[in-house]
Amino acid sequence: MNLVLQRSLFSLALVCWGVVILYFHVSGRIVKYLAPDFRVIALAGGLGLVVVGLFILLTARQEADCGHDHGPGGHHDHESLDMHPLVALAILLAPLFAAVSWTKDSYSLQALGAKGLHDSPQQTAGFLDSILPPLTREIIEQQHPPDATGHHPFSLIELFFSSADSEMRGLIDGMKVTTEGRLVSIPDGPPDRRRLYRLFITCCAADSRPVPIQARWDGEVPAIEENAWVTLSGTITYPDEGEGPVPLLEVSRTEATEAPPEESFMRGY
Amino acid sequence: MSPEARQDFAFAFLSILFEGAPFILLGTLISGFIDIYLPKGTMDRLLPRRTLPAVLVAGLLGAILPVCECAVVPVIRRLVRKGLPVSCALTYMLAAPIVNPITALSTWKAFKGPAVALGEDLTLSASTVMTVSRLGIGFLVAVLVGLVVARLPLHRVLRPRLVESVGNDPEPDHDHHHEEGETCGCGHDHAHDHAHPHHAHEDHPPRNRVVAAFRSALRDLIDVAVYFTVGVAITALFNTGIAPGARWLATLADDPIAAPAALMALAFVLSLCSTSDAFIAATLDRFTWGAKLAFLVFGPMMDVKLIFLYQTVMRRRFIIGLALGLFVVIGALCIGWQNLIAHAAP
Repeated sequence: MNLVLQRSLFSLALVCWGVVILYFHVSGRIVKYLAPDFRVIALAGGLGLVVVGLFILLTARQEADCGHDHGPGGHHDHESLDMHPLVALAILLAPLFAAVSWTKDSYSLQALGAKGLHDSPQQTAGFLDSILPPLTREIIEQQHPPDATGHHPFSLIELFFSSADSEMRGLIDGMKVTTEGRLVSIPDGPPDRRRLYRLFITCCAADSRPVPIQARWDGEVPAIEENAWVTLSGTITYPDEGEGPVPLLEVSRTEATEAPPEESFMRGY
Repeated sequence: MSPEARQDFAFAFLSILFEGAPFILLGTLISGFIDIYLPKGTMDRLLPRRTLPAVLVAGLLGAILPVCECAVVPVIRRLVRKGLPVSCALTYMLAAPIVNPITALSTWKAFKGPAVALGEDLTLSASTVMTVSRLGIGFLVAVLVGLVVARLPLHRVLRPRLVESVGNDPEPDHDHHHEEGETCGCGHDHAHDHAHPHHAHEDHPPRNRVVAAFRSALRDLIDVAVYFTVGVAITALFNTGIAPGARWLATLADDPIAAPAALMALAFVLSLCSTSDAFIAATLDRFTWGAKLAFLVFGPMMDVKLIFLYQTVMRRRFIIGLALGLFVVIGALCIGWQNLIAHAAP
């Protein structure tokens, strides 16, 4: 392939990569994909890709060389590729465009199942042990003042983590709490129970893990759309049903709610 | 692929791509400028004369001459032809993609978050533990290979044509004569005098070196981004349980021996760049730290694309031996490392 054409096509590919990153950033969708500190890096990378791509595109016809020879039979070649340029171009762009058109900025329930949505908290809570700070009764009371109905607002991740921490369990077992998350049915589970979950992201969505608790209604479960956002209030308990203590919210109030701005929990936030 | 599977693939694919692309850009820009601006003979001048110190220094040169594994092979091929000891060249080739600031930075960023308990009173961030361990084991393995190669005859390591050219002037096309130690003013090293009447000196004043550096960076970026894209796509398929065998791979995640072996095999197939592979490793969240470390050390030293690149320098039999040796040694070191971490935990 003609070198000028090759430079032009590859520089446009760089611009495409950069524009996609910038688009996700400007549109705010990047919050679904990356933890906060990576968003700044991604922004810088997107800008860099666009600038480098445009620079190479605008100078594609200029004469340039390194100024040193390349040995016997050598020629000035700092631009040859491992593979045919068109194949490289297809690999760079086809999956990117396909992914941009396919993404819904979230995982399906099937993928969440593969990532551990339905695993026992005793099996999966360990990955959080080293991330969360130690909690005491004082900290709980300071950080979770009760609302007008007497329920203490808790994030779902705290309730999830509490099941694997005997000290924490002892502190909040039987406490009236309120929390929010997405509600899904439990495959082969009891009819009066649902699973309430949110995602936890360390760096990017690919390393995200669901953090779920179970919710039980005394009577009929309200008609809520699968995977919809809800706020549940009730009493948190930790029954041992054969897999160690699991967080179970005895629900007294169910409210459909809007998704929060940051749908997933982020490391350090 | 079902609509749900497409959605899952796309979400995981884009998130890893967004995370790794800036580091690829940074790494290849530095690589491109080194390619164009680094004076010839720089490495020769930096290395001590004795074998052991020379191999040790060669293992650290990536800290000041950071290149990824793709870029390093042509560099060492040229240096070997100029007479750089093969043991030093191979040590640099194996260590530089790992023991360099860009790889250290990307590894540190990728593992930011969790902490690793190393005793009752000692807890370090996973970033620190993984970065130091990766660079340390990478350096150790590269130096070991260098010391072994120093004891081997050249013909068992290098391709026959390269053996013939070792010590010969790789650049006979100079039409002037200058004495040993005398500089010719062209800005290059000339280890010995040479005179050939039939050709002209090909060096010339550089034109638009900045543009040339960006073009060299573009070449590196495209090469790396292609493998990165393929690697990210495969990882996204495994990460979301779409790929056949994803469940089987997940069952190996806790096995102390099979997990590092499986991830080294995965690193071999994925052929990722060392500047961005940490972001892939960090997403393999079901695997042990030791298995991830094996992935991060073995991958930059031996993978499918490197097999082809290495054949431009080394004999096939040596490459096979090197691959098996690296697999066993890195696997053993990482299994031992995992056991140390497990025993240190309170």
